[in-house]
Amino acid sequence: MSSFDRYRARREADRLEAPVREARNLAERLGLDPYPVNYWIVDYDEMNELIAYEGFQDRYPHWRWGMKYDRQRKQDQYLGGKAFEIVNNDNPAHAFLQESNTLADQKAVITHVEAHSDFFANNEWFGLFPKGEDGAAAMLERHARRIREIMSDPEIDRSAVERWMDNVLSIADTINQHSVFTRVIDTDEESHDDLPDDEQALLDRLEELDVDETIREAVFEETEDSEETAAEEAGPHEDVLAYLHDHGKQFDPETERAAEYEDWQREILEILRTEAYYFAGQRMTKVMNEGWASYHESIMMTGENFADDEEFLTYADHMSKVLGSGGLNPYSLGLALWEYVENRANRREVIERLLRVEGITWRNLTDAVDFDRVLDLLAPPAALADVTLDGVADLPDRYVDRDAIEQARAGAIDVEAYPWKVLSYEGLARRHYSLVKPQHRGVLERIGREELERIGRYLFDDDRYGTIEEAIADVEYTAGWDRMREVRASHNDVTFLDAFLTQEFVEQKGYFTYEYSRANEDYRVASNDPGDVKRKLLLEFTNFGKPTIVVEDGNYNNRNELLLAHQYNGIELDHEQAKRVLERVFELWGRPVNLKTIRKEVTERDLEVARRRDSEPEPDEQGLLLRYDGAEVSEESLEWAAVEHLAADAVDYDTTPQDWL
Amino acid sequence: MGLKDDLERFRDVGEQRRQDLAEFITYGDLSANDQTVQIPIKIVDLPEFEYDQRDRGGVGAAPGDGDPEEGTPVAPDDQDGEEAGDPGEEGAEHEYYEMDPEEFAEELDEELGLDLEPKGKAIVEETEGPYTDLTRSGPDSTLDFETMFTEGLKRKLATEFDETFLEAVLKIDGWGPQEAFEWAREERIPVSLAWLEDAHAGLSDAERTRYDSIADVEASVERTPTSERIRREGIDQIPFRREDERYRHPETTTTPEKNVVVVNIRDVSGSMRQTKRELVERTFTPLDWYLQGKYDNAEFVYIAHDAEAWEVDRESFFGIRSGGGTRISAAYELAKEALEEYPFSEWNRYVFAAGDSENSGNDTEQRVIPLMEEIDANLHAYVETQPDGPTANATHAEELEAHFAGEDDVAVAYVNAAEDVTDAIEYILSTDAETDPSENTTASTRRLSDRLGR
Repeated sequence: MSSFDRYRARREADRLEAPVREARNLAERLGLDPYPVNYWIVDYDEMNELIAYEGFQDRYPHWRWGMKYDRQRKQDQYLGGKAFEIVNNDNPAHAFLQESNTLADQKAVITHVEAHSDFFANNEWFGLFPKGEDGAAAMLERHARRIREIMSDPEIDRSAVERWMDNVLSIADTINQHSVFTRVIDTDEESHDDLPDDEQALLDRLEELDVDETIREAVFEETEDSEETAAEEAGPHEDVLAYLHDHGKQFDPETERAAEYEDWQREILEILRTEAYYFAGQRMTKVMNEGWASYHESIMMTGENFADDEEFLTYADHMSKVLGSGGLNPYSLGLALWEYVENRANRREVIERLLRVEGITWRNLTDAVDFDRVLDLLAPPAALADVTLDGVADLPDRYVDRDAIEQARAGAIDVEAYPWKVLSYEGLARRHYSLVKPQHRGVLERIGREELERIGRYLFDDDRYGTIEEAIADVEYTAGWDRMREVRASHNDVTFLDAFLTQEFVEQKGYFTYEYSRANEDYRVASNDPGDVKRKLLLEFTNFGKPTIVVEDGNYNNRNELLLAHQYNGIELDHEQAKRVLERVFELWGRPVNLKTIRKEVTERDLEVARRRDSEPEPDEQGLLLRYDGAEVSEESLEWAAVEHLAADAVDYDTTPQDWL
Repeated sequence: MGLKDDLERFRDVGEQRRQDLAEFITYGDLSANDQTVQIPIKIVDLPEFEYDQRDRGGVGAAPGDGDPEEGTPVAPDDQDGEEAGDPGEEGAEHEYYEMDPEEFAEELDEELGLDLEPKGKAIVEETEGPYTDLTRSGPDSTLDFETMFTEGLKRKLATEFDETFLEAVLKIDGWGPQEAFEWAREERIPVSLAWLEDAHAGLSDAERTRYDSIADVEASVERTPTSERIRREGIDQIPFRREDERYRHPETTTTPEKNVVVVNIRDVSGSMRQTKRELVERTFTPLDWYLQGKYDNAEFVYIAHDAEAWEVDRESFFGIRSGGGTRISAAYELAKEALEEYPFSEWNRYVFAAGDSENSGNDTEQRVIPLMEEIDANLHAYVETQPDGPTANATHAEELEAHFAGEDDVAVAYVNAAEDVTDAIEYILSTDAETDPSENTTASTRRLSDRLGR
């Protein structure tokens, strides 16, 4: 699809060798530990292709890639959305740079990518999916090859394969992303080679008689020993795909009965399930990851002048585009939250020191301390802020890298261009200390009384410092960065937001929730309460922003029907779409499928009454069963007892206030 | 690459799922831009278990504005705000299958069973073709060196002869230049007598009697053919001659240019209310697209009229509504004026008018009809929309039909409901298709230049 100019690529690659090398050096010095990254220069078309394929070069054939590519191209053309970078989660990671970007843009991308690679390497949620010997790209390629083989098999109807894939992809999100990924082992032992002798004899006899399949099945079911049938396995099952793999059947339209999966069907199901698990890590940590990358990009580009003065404006423009786009984009949200993590950790460290000063307690701290003075003390010494070879030699040991200084003296390191090369991790932490940055100067003072109290209560070793100066001299400037690295290892977006989206944060940014008003038929602001805002945001991130669907029963109605359940959390399902999904699930189960959920009902009368009162009607929650039997979709009301266990109890994501309008 | 296939697959899926063109014209949203026709695809993406869009609500940010009041209306924008570099989140609800006007025209042809051949008009375009013509003179830069060289080479080869052998022939006892020359002539060796004489003069007596006969020479001396000689010794000089020079000259190919100008006339008087306006839009828009798709070069003139006429642009064309009375001839007068820029000899012309058949007094008979006859066009059409049923004085369409019955460059169509639109379009376009330019019955179109152009 692209006619790629190798010479231009080569030139661009040469130009970028130094920035790539130095970015890695800097990243490591800042405390990061990324996977090795291979950078590739690609042109505009290839970039769009890679984005369509989610960062890889070879994926299984499917029209959705075409759709993504089409959309991507249009977005680019009409909205000026520029794709800057793409990097995939693999070891070594592969990153793709668009050759037409300016040097400033490329540097921004490179620094951004290094941080992403560090995230992939250290976040435990990525660890849930074992990368395997040859890495992710190879795995995806193998999948692609296998599916292409299946499609070109003359005995298999290609459109049936495509239809099958569509069906599985419809429910690709019904996995258990919080567990370690395990391949589904074929528990199905009905392959006729393995049958015990007497059963085999029975089977032969039946085949001689040329008996109808249903009868054959019935006979066999009776002779089966206690292999766990679908009905016996305890539910509910979160990994619906695995469940289907184990117990699902295909629907044979000719006999109008359920039949065993073909091998290729089972294989494709497992392939797509594997890929869903692979990508789950990325999808669960989008905000964190992008924030992390943006944060480090910023430190490297502006903090450490990776961008030259001339390039700086281009970079500033780039950043504003990225951070400014859309209402709540993961880059700006993530960045803001990371800065908050850093500030809080740094603040805590400082406060802890201050609380140990003789005469200062959590009760009087805000009065007793002159925060401006503290900030002055915290500010990095001049020699650290503006690094010169002579000045830096005089700094305390912990801030500098003595070996590097020697090298610099010998002329091997250019201190003016790369001041960070002669500094240590601690030195860099002090140099970029967050609390003294102009935009964060208010953080220290803003400490809330509750937090002060909390910190004060758990402090041992009271009264260690005589003066504030003494206390500040002991501050660990790496507190912020250290904490950030801890968080990046253990959290995903949901826990990240849950932990760090505090009241202070919400108020600062002016977040609010909005809901749909049936009375007015439009959207209205619902709440400013930080708790509500957080919950609403969490809704967007929990389970990929999708409702949680589980398998409750494989023998519903005692007729081997599938029963799915929606774990209701205050927000309804899109019922129409759900029905269409059920039609597809039917093809994967072979027998009728059902879905239990809860519906919010508002009668016309309620609406009338509410409108007259100029208020919002309160919906009535009702149990609902959606069902597809192969021919038609039906709806059935359920009594509350049947759905009670699904209802929202702990968390309700509906933030509609009581007396709203 | 795999993605190319996937893109095709996507287009196939889109094509399968998109609305029928007929359905689209009847019911769809035709307010597309000029460049592409956007036809909604019925089903978009794969269905998934998702929250109800409305019920889920969302989070907004209003930094610096203070806290927004509860109950304030909000316009929910893209809450995901995904960056372009983000892999795969399903977004928009509607996908569109886009086609450019050419494709639209093709598809419509297929669906309606038409086959309108765009007519090329008399020579308008002279394109310079490839530089393949050769002439004897021209600017230096267009010298066809190959030809000259080839000629020179031929010349050279033609005058080449094996000198060694000829010298040997001269050495035949009893043979002088004359004999050698005669022998050479028979052998068709291009050696001149003068050369032979010179060579002979240069030989000593002993050499002159070296061989007994020609047979002896042939036996003793190797005779090398020209090609081998050249291969061995190479060619020193190729003789270039003035008469060999050839200069390249571009071929001029004349293609009749496929131009079309479409005049859209619309009645915007008080009586043309919303429904009628929509029907007109529904009819005209596909016609415009169709013609745009069929012709290389399409231009559009939009004329709105009530009792007077004025030219407008496309955007305002369908929306305008005035309050006045109706005089259709005003529009045709303006059309005639506008079309002066587009002479019929060079442009295909279509004049489409639409209204509710209301017209003042005898305007139709006295002025409109003569004007229509005067204005040369591939096709005149009038589309009557009377969704509320026939009105007493609205007879314009009927009168036209009565007058022009049998003439195949005037089409009158009736569109009273959305369902009639496709039929009307079909009727109009097929009227045109039947018309062969050489069969135009209107006398004034039989221009000499037309016939010369064939």
